[in-house]
Amino acid sequence: MDLNFFITTCIGTIAFAIAAPILGCLISGFDRIISARMQGRVGPKLLQPYWDVRKLLGKDKVAVSGSEDTYINLALFFSLLAGGLFFSGGNFLLVVFVITLSSLFFIVAAYSTRSPYAEIGAARETLQVMSYEPMILFMAVAFYQVVGTFDVSGVFLLSQPVICTAWAVFLGLLFVLTIKLRKSPFDISSSHHAHQEIVKGITTEMSGPTLAKVEVMHWVENVLFMAWVGVFFVYSNPISIVIAIVAVILIYFFEIWVDNNFARVKWQAMLKWAWIVALLAGGLNVAFLAFF
Amino acid sequence: MGFASKSPWVIHYDASSCNGCDIEVLAALCPGYDVERFGIINTGNPKHADIFLVTGSVNQRNIAVVQEIYNQMLEPKVVVACGCCACTGGVFHDSYNVIGGVDKAIPVDVYAPGCAIRPEAIIDAVVEGLGVLEQKAEALKEQQKKGA
Amino acid sequence: MAFCMRGVRNLELIGFLILFPLLAAVILLFIKNDSARKVVVGASAAIIAIASLALVIGNLSTPPIYYEFDSQIVEIICVAISIAIGLVVLWFAYKYKNILAGVLAAIQLVGSLIFDFAFAPNVHVAQGLYLDSLSVMMTFIIGIIGSGICFYALGYMKDHVEHHPDEEDRRPLFFFLMFLFLSAMYVIVFSNNMVWMFTGWEVTTLCSFLLIGYTKTDEAIANSFRQIVMNIAGGIGFLIALFYCAGTMNTLSFIEFIQLGLSAPAVISLPVCALAFAGITKAAQMPFHSWLLGAMVAPTPTSALLHSSTMVKAGVFLLVKLAPLFAIATAPAVMVVLVGGITFALASFMAISQSNAKRVLAYSTIANLGLIVACAGVGTPEAVWAAMFLILFHAAAKSLLFLCVGTAEHHIGSRDIEDMDLLFERMPQLARNMMIGIMIMFIAPFGMLISKWATLVSFVDNHQVALIILLAFGSAATFMFWAKWLGKLSGVAGQPANVETTVHKTEWVAIYLMTVLALIFCIGLPLISSTVVMPYINGVYGYTMTALDTDILALMSILSIAVIVLLLAGTTGASSKRKVDAYLAGISVSNADRSFRNSLSQETRATVRNMYLADTFGEERITPVAEISTTLIIIGSFAAALATVISML
Repeated sequence: MDLNFFITTCIGTIAFAIAAPILGCLISGFDRIISARMQGRVGPKLLQPYWDVRKLLGKDKVAVSGSEDTYINLALFFSLLAGGLFFSGGNFLLVVFVITLSSLFFIVAAYSTRSPYAEIGAARETLQVMSYEPMILFMAVAFYQVVGTFDVSGVFLLSQPVICTAWAVFLGLLFVLTIKLRKSPFDISSSHHAHQEIVKGITTEMSGPTLAKVEVMHWVENVLFMAWVGVFFVYSNPISIVIAIVAVILIYFFEIWVDNNFARVKWQAMLKWAWIVALLAGGLNVAFLAFF
Repeated sequence: MGFASKSPWVIHYDASSCNGCDIEVLAALCPGYDVERFGIINTGNPKHADIFLVTGSVNQRNIAVVQEIYNQMLEPKVVVACGCCACTGGVFHDSYNVIGGVDKAIPVDVYAPGCAIRPEAIIDAVVEGLGVLEQKAEALKEQQKKGA
Repeated sequence: MAFCMRGVRNLELIGFLILFPLLAAVILLFIKNDSARKVVVGASAAIIAIASLALVIGNLSTPPIYYEFDSQIVEIICVAISIAIGLVVLWFAYKYKNILAGVLAAIQLVGSLIFDFAFAPNVHVAQGLYLDSLSVMMTFIIGIIGSGICFYALGYMKDHVEHHPDEEDRRPLFFFLMFLFLSAMYVIVFSNNMVWMFTGWEVTTLCSFLLIGYTKTDEAIANSFRQIVMNIAGGIGFLIALFYCAGTMNTLSFIEFIQLGLSAPAVISLPVCALAFAGITKAAQMPFHSWLLGAMVAPTPTSALLHSSTMVKAGVFLLVKLAPLFAIATAPAVMVVLVGGITFALASFMAISQSNAKRVLAYSTIANLGLIVACAGVGTPEAVWAAMFLILFHAAAKSLLFLCVGTAEHHIGSRDIEDMDLLFERMPQLARNMMIGIMIMFIAPFGMLISKWATLVSFVDNHQVALIILLAFGSAATFMFWAKWLGKLSGVAGQPANVETTVHKTEWVAIYLMTVLALIFCIGLPLISSTVVMPYINGVYGYTMTALDTDILALMSILSIAVIVLLLAGTTGASSKRKVDAYLAGISVSNADRSFRNSLSQETRATVRNMYLADTFGEERITPVAEISTTLIIIGSFAAALATVISML
C-alpha cells in the first residue's frame, strides 16, 4: 500500500476545499453578471454569491428532518473529496463515482424531509443523474482509452490533447454539462427562478446554513465539472494549460448563453436526448477508440 | 453593515389584493428596475426569503395563510406591507370580510402606501426594511450567543 | 506431511458439509414440535456455519487441491437420485396435468438412464472432489449466509403460519427442503466429477420447484412449473455436455475437461455451449428470467435463499468455472457475453418500473447475475476478479435486503415500496439495515460498485464495446431505482408508532448477521482480494492481474467505514436544530400528516409517489425485446457450435 497516495489525496482535498469555493464563488458571480448583461441589466456585484452565503449562515438554524443536516454534510464532503482526487491527479472514474455519491446524499436529504415539493424535486434530480450518467461513464472510458490510465495526471505525458481523438465525447459532455450545471433547459429539479410549479424543488426545505452548504457544494461542483472540460485540452506542453483555461471560459460563456436562451424541457425530452447523445457521441467514440 | 442587508431575498403573497399592487411588485422585480443590483431575488419560498411583501387587505380566508408563511420564514425577517390596502385596508377597510391591513395578522415592519403602489416605492420600502433586517440579525446573533 | 494432514482434514470437512445438512434435513422432516424445531434448526445452522468457517480459515490462499476420491456407492446414489428426481417431477406433472414438464422430465429421465448405464461406467474419475479458492468462497456464502437464512426462517415461518390460518402447516417439509438445498450446493461446489455435480444441480432444481410451489396456490403452482420447465431444459443442456464429454473426450473430470478444452478450443465448443446454456437457465438470464420473478410467490426466506446463496449462484458458479474456456471459444463466449450484458441493462430498466419491493429485488438480482455472466464470458483474470466479488457482495447484500423486506412485509402489511414511507421511524432499526443493504448494492465506496468498476475496466481492456454501452446505460438505471427506494425509506415526519417491537429475535439475528457480513466484506475487500480471489485466479491462469490497484481498494475500505459511521451517527434524529414544519403552500391543516386545505376548503393529504416511468421502462415494452434478442443469440451460438462440430467430423 502506498502511503504517498493517501497523503497526496488528503493534501489535494484540503487545497481544493480552500480554493474551489473561492473560485466557484467568483464563477457564480460572473455568471450572474453576464446573465444580467444578456438580459439588458446591470446585475449584482461580483461578490453577491458570497454575500448570499454569508447571509444564509447568519439565519436561524432550523430543519424539517433530523437527518437532513447529516446528508448535506456528507454530500458536501464527498464533492470536496471528488475535487481533491481530481486535482491531485487521481483516478478519473473514482472522481465520477464519488461525485455520484455526493448527488445521492443530496437527493436523500431532500427525500428525508418528506415535503411534497422537495420530494418531486428529488425524484427529478434522480432522473437528471440517470440522464447524464451514461455520458459521464463514456467520458471516463474514452479518457482511459486515449491516455492509457484512469489517472488524471496521465494527461501531462500525452503528445496531443485528449480532444483530438475524443472530440465526439467532448461534445457529448457539453450536452450533459448543462444538466450538471443545473442550467436551463435542464434545470428541472430546482430552478434559480421563482414562481415555478415545484417551488424550489429539491432545495425547498433546505434553509439558512443548510442552504448555504448546498450553495457552496454547487460552486465546488461547478469548478470540478469545468475542470473536466479543461482536462480535454491539456497535454505535455505547459502552454496547453493556458489553452485549457481559455477553453473553459469560452465553454462556460456558452453555457450561460444556453441558459438564457432556452426554455426548460420536460423530463422525457431530457432523458431521451441525453441518452441519444450518449449513445451516439459516447458509444461511437468509445467504439472507434477501441477498434482503431 | 452585516450580510443580512446585502442579500435580501423576497417572497410575495397576494392577500386579497385587487392585483394592482401585485402587478407593480412584479414590475419592480422585472429587468427594468434590475433589483438584483441590490442582491434582491424573488424566491417564492418562505424558507429562503428574508423579506415578505404582502399586498391586499387580508381577509378571513387567507389570514391563516399569511400567518403560516410568516411563521415559516426564518429569523431575521422583515414584513413590508405593499399598498394602501395592505397598510390599512384601503378602500375595503369597512368590508364585512376584510381584516383591514396586514398588521392585523402579522407584525409589519415597513408600510409602503400607494394605490397602486409604485415600483419605486416598493424598492424604497425594501431598502428601508434592510435597516430593520440588520437590527434583527444583530438581535438574533446576541440571542444565539446567550443560548450557547 | 503437514500439507497431507491438512488434506485429510479438509476432505473430512467437505464430507461433513455435504452430509450434515442432509442429516439435519431428514431430522427436520420428522419434527412437528415448534420448540424442538427451533433447537434443531438453530444448532444445525450454527454447526454448518462453524464447519464452513473452519474450512474457509484453514484454506485461505489455498492453491487448487484435488482429492483422490472415488466410490461406487456414490455412483449408485447419484443414479438413484436422478431416477427419483425424474419420477417426482413426472408425478407432479401428471397430478397438475402439465404436459411440457412431463415431456421434459421424461426426456431427462431417459437420458440420465442411458447415460448412467451406457456411458458413465466406461469413464473413471479418480479425483472426485476438489477444493480451490472459489469453492472456499462459495462455502462461506452457502455456510454462513445460507444457514443464516434458514435461521431467519424460524421466526418468519411462524408468522407466516399465523397469517395464513387456512393453510396446512407444512413447516417440516419447508425446513427439509431448505437444508437439502444447502447440501446440494456443497455437492456442486466441491465435485470434480461432473456426474456428481450434475446430481447436485438437479437436486437444487427440484428443491426450488417444491419451495416455489410451497403455498399450493394456483399462482404458486403455475410459477413452480415455469421454473421446473426452464431448469429441466437447462439440465438437459448439462446432460448433453455430459454425453459429449464421456462419448468423445472420454473424461468426466471437470478439471480435465477444462484443460483439454484449453488445448483444443474447437472440440469443446458444443459442450461449453451446452453447459453455458445450463448456467444461463439456472442463473435466470433472459429469456429465462421469468422463473425467478415467479419464484417470489414463495415465502421470503425461499426468495432470499434462491437469490443470494444458492440456486442462481450455482448457475454463475458454473459459468465462472468455465471462464478460461470462454476466453478462447468464440461461439459460447458470444452467447454468454451478450446474454449477460443485455440481461443486465434490460433487467435494470425494468426494475425502474416496479414498485413491489420483492420484484425490484428480483430484477436487480437478474441484472447483477447478468453482469457476473458477462464477466465470466469475457474470461480474463480481471473479469473473473470482478465476477467473484460481484458474487460475494451480491450474496450478502441481497439476502440482507430480502430478509428486511420480508420482515417489513409482516409488520407493515405490504411489500410495496410506496408503503415504506416513514419506515425510518416506524421500524428504525430495520430501515437502517435496509439502507445499508441498498447502499452496498449500488454506490461507491461499497462493494458492488467496486466490483462493477472492475467489470467496466475489464470490458474496456478487452474492447468489449457492446458491454461497455450496456453497462453504462444499465448502471444509470440502477442508480435510479435504488436511489428512489432509498429516498422513500429516509422520510421523517410526525410521530408514527414504532411497529418493530414484535419482530422475532431470530429475524434480528439473521438481519444483523447479513449487515455485519456485508460491511465486513466492504471493509475487508483488499484482504479478501489477496487471500481468496487472487489465489483462485492464480490457480486457474497461472498469473494474476486486477483492474484496480490496492491503493484504490484501501481508500474504498476506509471510505466505507467513514460513510457508515457518519451515517449511523448522524441519523439518530438528535439534531441541535429546531424542528419546523414542511412547506405546504401556507395552507396546512395538519403538517405532521402533510395535509392541507384544498380549493374546496376540504382537507387533502399531500402524497408523492415515486416516478416509475412505466411508459418508457414498463415490462410490456421491454420484455419482448429482451426475450427475442436473447433467444436469437442463444440459437445463433448453438448453430455456430454445431457447425464447428460438424466441420470436424
